[in-house]
Amino acid sequence: MSRRVLAALVLLLLLIAFPFVASGYLLGVFTIAFYFGVFAMAWDLLFGFAGEVNFGPTFLIGLGAYAAGLLNVRGWPILPAVLAGAVAAVLGGLLLALPALRLRGPYFGLVTLVAVLLLQQVIVIFAGVTGGEIGLSLPDVLSVDARKNYWYALAFMAVSGALLYALSRSPAGLILQAAGQDPVEAQALGFNVAKHKLAAFSISALFSGLAGALMVFYLGTASVDTVVDISVTVQVIIAVVLGGRRTILGGILGAVFLIGVGEVLRPLGQLSTFVVAAIALAVILLFPDGLIGAFGRHRRQA
Amino acid sequence: MSKPKPFPQKTRYAAFAAALGLTALAAAPPAQAAEPIRIAVIAENSAIGGIAITNAAKLAADEINAKGGVDGRMIEIIDYDDHNSATDAVRAFQRAASQDHAIAVISSYMSEVALALEPWAARLHMPFITPGAASNEITRRIHEDYEHNKYTFHGYLTSTELAQTVCNFSHDVLVTKLHMKSTVVMSEDAAWTKPLDGEYLVCLPKAGLAVLDHIRFSPDTTDFTPLFNQIEAKHPDVITAGISHVGVQPTVQWASQQVPIPMSGISSQATTDTFWRDTNGAAQGVILEENAAPNIAVTAKTIPFAQAYIKRYGITPGYAGYSAADDVNIIAEAVKRAKSTDPDKLVAALEQTDYIGTMGRIQFYGRNEPFTHGLRYGRGYVTGIVVQWQDGKQVAIWPEDIATGEPKFPSFIKLPEQHAGK
Amino acid sequence: MLALQILIDGFAISALYALGAVGFTLIFGVSGVLNLAHGGLMLIAAVAAWYTAGELHAGQYIGAITGLAFGVLAALLTYFVVVRPIQRSRAIPRDETEIFVLTGTLLWGIMIQEAVAYFFSDNPLTVPALISGVANINRVRVPFNEILVAAISWLSIGLLWLLVNRTRAGKALLACAINPRGLTLLGFELGQLYLLVWLIYGLLVAAAGVLLATFLGTSSGNTGALTASAFSIVVLGGLGSVSGSLIAAYVVGYMETLTAYLVSPQIRTIPSLLLLVLVLYVRPQGLLGRR
Repeated sequence: MSRRVLAALVLLLLLIAFPFVASGYLLGVFTIAFYFGVFAMAWDLLFGFAGEVNFGPTFLIGLGAYAAGLLNVRGWPILPAVLAGAVAAVLGGLLLALPALRLRGPYFGLVTLVAVLLLQQVIVIFAGVTGGEIGLSLPDVLSVDARKNYWYALAFMAVSGALLYALSRSPAGLILQAAGQDPVEAQALGFNVAKHKLAAFSISALFSGLAGALMVFYLGTASVDTVVDISVTVQVIIAVVLGGRRTILGGILGAVFLIGVGEVLRPLGQLSTFVVAAIALAVILLFPDGLIGAFGRHRRQA
Repeated sequence: MSKPKPFPQKTRYAAFAAALGLTALAAAPPAQAAEPIRIAVIAENSAIGGIAITNAAKLAADEINAKGGVDGRMIEIIDYDDHNSATDAVRAFQRAASQDHAIAVISSYMSEVALALEPWAARLHMPFITPGAASNEITRRIHEDYEHNKYTFHGYLTSTELAQTVCNFSHDVLVTKLHMKSTVVMSEDAAWTKPLDGEYLVCLPKAGLAVLDHIRFSPDTTDFTPLFNQIEAKHPDVITAGISHVGVQPTVQWASQQVPIPMSGISSQATTDTFWRDTNGAAQGVILEENAAPNIAVTAKTIPFAQAYIKRYGITPGYAGYSAADDVNIIAEAVKRAKSTDPDKLVAALEQTDYIGTMGRIQFYGRNEPFTHGLRYGRGYVTGIVVQWQDGKQVAIWPEDIATGEPKFPSFIKLPEQHAGK
Repeated sequence: MLALQILIDGFAISALYALGAVGFTLIFGVSGVLNLAHGGLMLIAAVAAWYTAGELHAGQYIGAITGLAFGVLAALLTYFVVVRPIQRSRAIPRDETEIFVLTGTLLWGIMIQEAVAYFFSDNPLTVPALISGVANINRVRVPFNEILVAAISWLSIGLLWLLVNRTRAGKALLACAINPRGLTLLGFELGQLYLLVWLIYGLLVAAAGVLLATFLGTSSGNTGALTASAFSIVVLGGLGSVSGSLIAAYVVGYMETLTAYLVSPQIRTIPSLLLLVLVLYVRPQGLLGRR
């Protein structure tokens, strides 16, 4: 366990030093990748531990992003707007959880999918306020300096990662894991499964919303296609499975891998997405435990 | 087959290394020429409208280089596919600026992408022209915060101006020649159609068409039957459309249901060659506005450009191709004028643009005019043209001086009684 | 008049939704394979039909048949390249196969989408109608092609219902999704069963792809929406139930049509989405679900 922590710390130091050698472009790539890493980790918490595949990460991300963006347009400074965005995401998540947690499996998945579609429709219908499909332009941004943006993203990702990882290893996390793998048994053992799943949902929503809000303040715009789109969910799911499901930290690896490879292959032009998808497919077929599983030590599941 | 056979560790590492190696190979950067003028083109290469930008830019660059380039320097087009994603476009923009040393960016026919790039043009001090987006927002931001946003130029007409062109056409042809008196406005419910519809509702009545109804439909509508039925119940003489996200579907359904009312207005998908094939000919009789067309001499440069494009790429250019080609020339001229590629000098030079391109005479509005850095609109400058699909070809029916034919409609269309003949 | 229009229009669009979902009912509802490349397979069938009919000038009938062939091939390819390796993999625990099939087919679907976009652009295209012309039903104009599509939709659902509920193979399929080992113990050859499923699925999804494209068009950009629509209808109807899917398709179709006519075309899909959530809240197993 401490070997892993050591490795993570070394990696973190390398990442912190990176801006001194890298171009603004590379920093930009990693900045987005870090935010996606948080999206992925938040989803892994819910999926990996609560056992529920949901199509809704983009619902939570979008709520956080648009809430923060709309408030900023009305004059709220960045920090309160971001926090308000996170709160909005949690509230939205709870609202969604009400019908959703009564359901299992694909039924749960469907409700989360519907939530995304509804949010998209609402944003487009109220285009006068939200900017519709064209997007919302934000007056403030985190920073115009590529390095500062990178460090903000890195810090956020590191802290989120640490918190989520610690949570997953805590007693509450273990209960969630049990609830995810065998809810009947967990219930029989006296654990309030519903309460724990609700908590997982809220935490997932909190981090997703925060990350969504911060990301739009980096980009300078919030639009439907960037934060409330099935493609965001798709990328998150792929990142988690690719990186290693139920590992939390695998989400970061998967996100960086996906976005990184996509950028490296940019000269291929139109075909780059095809190649990235093909590589990802090969990886999950050959290494089902993901990137972490392929190169890390295989731990026996208790 | 009963023994488990996982891949041994070695094979896994080897496979992974091979994959990474192949990736690195594929990503090897191309050789760099000395002192070229690099223009980045970021477009949606999987879209007909988007690939037109990339193709046209390359064609225009080659033509300039064939004549000796700009003061001996060759133009190099670096193209990026943004995969229809604004975030991807932003990353491409960053790469163009800090990695690939572009001196200007031409990007996108999607307002969403153009608006996402505008702040980055400001941050990175990168001159940026959009050849196809229509949102009024683009120029509004430049007008309101000139110092930051002056790097952006809007190389296409705004939604408001597009509506004015449709209204002028409606007056000259639909009302005057075909004696039409009424219309229903049918637009997709999107941000770009809000100013479009706003202008329609003002200028159509002035043009002589009473607006009987104004329908906005959800952009993910797949079934247009309710819409056409509702419109038909009001008995308008023509449907004035504002559609871009959809185009093939409503047109095919309009034809297959034999809705007896002609369709006119803005239909982005209908501007390209492939629209005829994609609708299997249902486009017959559809009227649409665009900035230029392959067999119509908007200026002396239009047809030669279109012919060269068809020769090289096998299809006609999408509408943003004309503007993208013009934009490459505009940038080249600006570099020549400024004798420099410094961003601020380039911006000042671009503001002095007075260029006859494929879509008209191009000038940009100034700081104190409402649509700052937008195209100067009006007779003698850029107005767009109105064409109709007839038997697989686009025939210009407005303005009068470049029209190549008369309006002609499928047999299921019912025109107002007073029109003699058809 | 309006009522008749709503009735006919709703019927037509519901039949289309049902057709798009019927293959998904078989592969997911009955067999438990969450194939997210569903829309992609429909796309391949439609593009093959369009290309053969138009670009190769072979006419709509040969086009349609070519589309069917390509769709079936694509489905079988999906099975052999993506789904079967996952189902057989020893490295993936039994109860995890679903997330891998989901992700694997998702990626496969993306590959299909991008490949089609590369060769044909993401422009929507339509397959030429098999029958042209309109019928006049009490002054409501209905294209003949729409009637044909509705008829084929009902036919395929009917046949599928017979297969699942009245044949040995069909019941084996249902049982297989719940307990595959039990089936092997009873002497069923799983491999052959799966192959049969994918073959039939291929036919259904290809037919849906070609026919939907005559009316709604298709593009590499809307495969996600096609899959989402099929998924919604199958889950709403209840997993394992063919009649459930049919009913769900009609509920969604009529809901949308009523909204478009009586409320506003702007919010066409919203009431049906809300209805979905409501139904699931009240009946977590869907309308007629068994599991």
